[in-house]
Amino acid sequence: MTRTRTAWLLAAAGALVATVAIRAAGTAPAQGATPAPVNPAQAVTPEPAPSQPPDVLFKDDVHAKAGLTCESCHGAKKAGGGYAMVARTTIAPMCAKCHADAAYMKTFAPQVRVDQYAQYQTSVHGRQMAKGETRVATCSDCHHAHGIVAVRDTRSPVTPPHVAQTCARCHADPARMTPFNRSPDIPGDWSKSVHAEALLKRGDSSAPTCSTCHGSHGATPPGAESVANVCAQCHVREADLFKKSKKADLFKSMGTGDCLTCHSNHHIEPPQASWIGLDDKAICTTCHDDKMPGAAVITSVRKGFDDLQSRMGEAQAVLDRAETAGMLVEEGKLALHNAAEAHVRMRVLVHTFAGPPFDEVLKEGLTAVAQANAAGVDAMNELQYRRRGLAVATLLILGFLATLFVKIRKLPK
Amino acid sequence: MGPENLPDPALGSGRRSLLTWLLGTWSAGVLGAIAFPVLRYLVPPEVPEATSLSVKGGTASSLAPNTARIVPFGSTPALVVRTPTGEVRAFNATCTHLACTVQYRTDLEHIWCACHNGHYDLNGKNIAGPPPRPLTEYDAHVQGDEIIISKKT
Amino acid sequence: MSLRTWFAERLPVTEVQAAIAHKTVPQHRHTVWYYLGGMTLFFFIVQVVTGILLLLYYRPSSAEAYDSVQFIMTRVPFGWLVRSIHSWSANLMVGAAFAHLFSVLFLKAYRRPREMTWVSGVLLLFLVLGFGFTGYLLPWNELSYFATRVGTDIAGVVPGVGEFILTFLRGGKDISGATLTRFYGFHVAVLPAIATALIGLHLLLVQYPGMSVPPSVEEKSKREGRPVPAMPFVPHFALRDLFGWTVALALLAGLSAYLPWELGHKADPFASAPAGIQPEWYFLWTFQALKYVPAHILGIEGELVAIIVMGLGAVALVLLPFLDINTRRSRTVVTWLAIGALAFMAAMTLLAVRGNRP
Repeated sequence: MTRTRTAWLLAAAGALVATVAIRAAGTAPAQGATPAPVNPAQAVTPEPAPSQPPDVLFKDDVHAKAGLTCESCHGAKKAGGGYAMVARTTIAPMCAKCHADAAYMKTFAPQVRVDQYAQYQTSVHGRQMAKGETRVATCSDCHHAHGIVAVRDTRSPVTPPHVAQTCARCHADPARMTPFNRSPDIPGDWSKSVHAEALLKRGDSSAPTCSTCHGSHGATPPGAESVANVCAQCHVREADLFKKSKKADLFKSMGTGDCLTCHSNHHIEPPQASWIGLDDKAICTTCHDDKMPGAAVITSVRKGFDDLQSRMGEAQAVLDRAETAGMLVEEGKLALHNAAEAHVRMRVLVHTFAGPPFDEVLKEGLTAVAQANAAGVDAMNELQYRRRGLAVATLLILGFLATLFVKIRKLPK
Repeated sequence: MGPENLPDPALGSGRRSLLTWLLGTWSAGVLGAIAFPVLRYLVPPEVPEATSLSVKGGTASSLAPNTARIVPFGSTPALVVRTPTGEVRAFNATCTHLACTVQYRTDLEHIWCACHNGHYDLNGKNIAGPPPRPLTEYDAHVQGDEIIISKKT
Repeated sequence: MSLRTWFAERLPVTEVQAAIAHKTVPQHRHTVWYYLGGMTLFFFIVQVVTGILLLLYYRPSSAEAYDSVQFIMTRVPFGWLVRSIHSWSANLMVGAAFAHLFSVLFLKAYRRPREMTWVSGVLLLFLVLGFGFTGYLLPWNELSYFATRVGTDIAGVVPGVGEFILTFLRGGKDISGATLTRFYGFHVAVLPAIATALIGLHLLLVQYPGMSVPPSVEEKSKREGRPVPAMPFVPHFALRDLFGWTVALALLAGLSAYLPWELGHKADPFASAPAGIQPEWYFLWTFQALKYVPAHILGIEGELVAIIVMGLGAVALVLLPFLDINTRRSRTVVTWLAIGALAFMAAMTLLAVRGNRP
């Protein structure tokens, strides 16, 4: 029999054994609704089918490089050959035997953290697993069991660009989520967000993925009170202004989750000016109408954005025309860049939900875009001036040529 | 061929001199059309040098320690900083994360980007937040009371 | 005493004036080709004037070159016009030079006693190409940087001296600021000095034997027993020449206003060459021809063989008057060779242009 076949048979056998053992130990049903009967196949670790047998994978493992062997985790070889599977509920405590031991870990990496297990125990996954619910994630589900590489390694399933994929293996699977009354849409939602685009398309490793907001080992969705704090990790200015604004207390009392009220949590889209306004498509109309206080501010803010955006479009068009025609428009581009900056600052100042600071920056933006437009118009005028000048010169030359032609004709043979 | 067939000399020479006059006028026009741009070209323009290699960064006396100012440098903004210890430094003020313009924080005594909370130290090195690279540094010299910023060679 | 008399005491003013007054130009169906030499000279004069104007503001260092050209185009009054005229006139001068060469080839004006005129003319053509090649680098933009790199790479292919030639041209192993300064020196000092001397020689050599008459016209006049009609240089030919020059001037101004010369992007030596990089149109035919040469010919590197062939071709061109024994047959051979060369160059240029279209 080939080694691969052996491995598979052992895995299947081990899974069966584990399932029976766990059932025999008497797992308590999950909190809340009665979960559906456990499907043995689903009790197996949800990591995708390994491409190679464990001993081959283990060669690349950081643990192998640290001098560990199969026996370190699996115990002694079985009488008939092969190793016993580690029971799912015992995986985390087993890893913690080393990874929570500060003195031991320091011998391999002086700065490495040793609180992963402690964090795990506070997480939803950890608490469920402690109750014997094995259909939640444990160490080997995310980090894999053999061939474990450092988090920063680009092959790692938990390196930032891969995290969402790893979480999605369970959290995007309706069969796995329904027993826990969880939506399987969330990883899909996140993948449509600006953060996913930044992280996966632009390679901006500062963009948040699942673990950035929810924590990795201590994964617990942030509670409604702390959403603003989570977003504030990067969006400092917006959070600051929001907390000082009227909306902070209001949203807290309504329990709408601060930033989530307008921006949603997973499918975060690029904010549009059309979100602000008193028409049906705007978010403000969730609470506001044109009679309530604030209607004037909403209208003027929306108008400010629309104004600036349309003028920026015009300025860009005229600058492009000038540049295509061969004129150089560096100063115009700089002014347009300043207008774009003002636009960004205006978006930040929306979070004051008030008129004055926003209006000042709007004025700056409009001045800059007027300068940009003027530069473009000047360039086009200069182009016209050049062509007019050329027309004059050509007329002179043509007049000269005509007279010369007559003169040549008149020359004696 | 009788005398009446001969071309009238007066008329002939009149036409000839008209032609010569016309030729003279037109050629003067053409030469003028050539000379005018050439002469205008020879006169140095208002801004005598390209602004993309070095610019003035404002007066040194008006830049107090632990403050900074933004000046345009070619088509990008530049940040001119007077450190708390009194040194004058200059950087490209374009944040290396998503190209917002950075600012100087007198409370933090270093450079900060408001867009996503990026921090740079006084050497331009990215020390916290999303920015992946340091800010490009420029040479800053003080000549008299004038700060001159130039690209590093 | 009049001014003229004052000068006549010190310089051969009277003799020169007499010579000019007596100069005639043969008038026949091929007379129109006589204007091409003067046209090339006109473009050269335009280049000298606009070139001098440009070097009042241009800076020949890799750090400042591009920005100084941008400065000329945007801040200096009429700088855009001077620069565009300089770039367009360069191209038109090359075109006129080639047209002049081919017209002389077809009209057999290189025959005795005009051998030296031909030799100096061919050398002038090489100089014009040198002007074009060195001048092209000076704006230090992306296209010119890589085009120069490709062009000088070819020089290195020559065995033995190739490496030395390459280093001499580039001022180092690779294209750098040193290359720019060196090319600038060639472009504004070395080549102009040689060109001025050669042009002076060439013009002088044209005056003494007079304008050449094509063999067919000569034979016709011999058959009919009539001398070839001629027109006085001044004013008949000169005014027509002036007409042509003025049209060319109008053309240059029009091109500058409606098709201004681009500046492109600043050269970045560490960036990879942009796709579809190719030299200026007058080098395209060699560039394309080299692409078709097989990797090895009879055991020798293909490129090397091509360079040698082209080199031999150039030498043959220079020595043409001594190779053509001036019989009807040899002249016909030259005519057909010229047609072949023209067709080859045109075909290669067309293929290069088509090949690089996206």
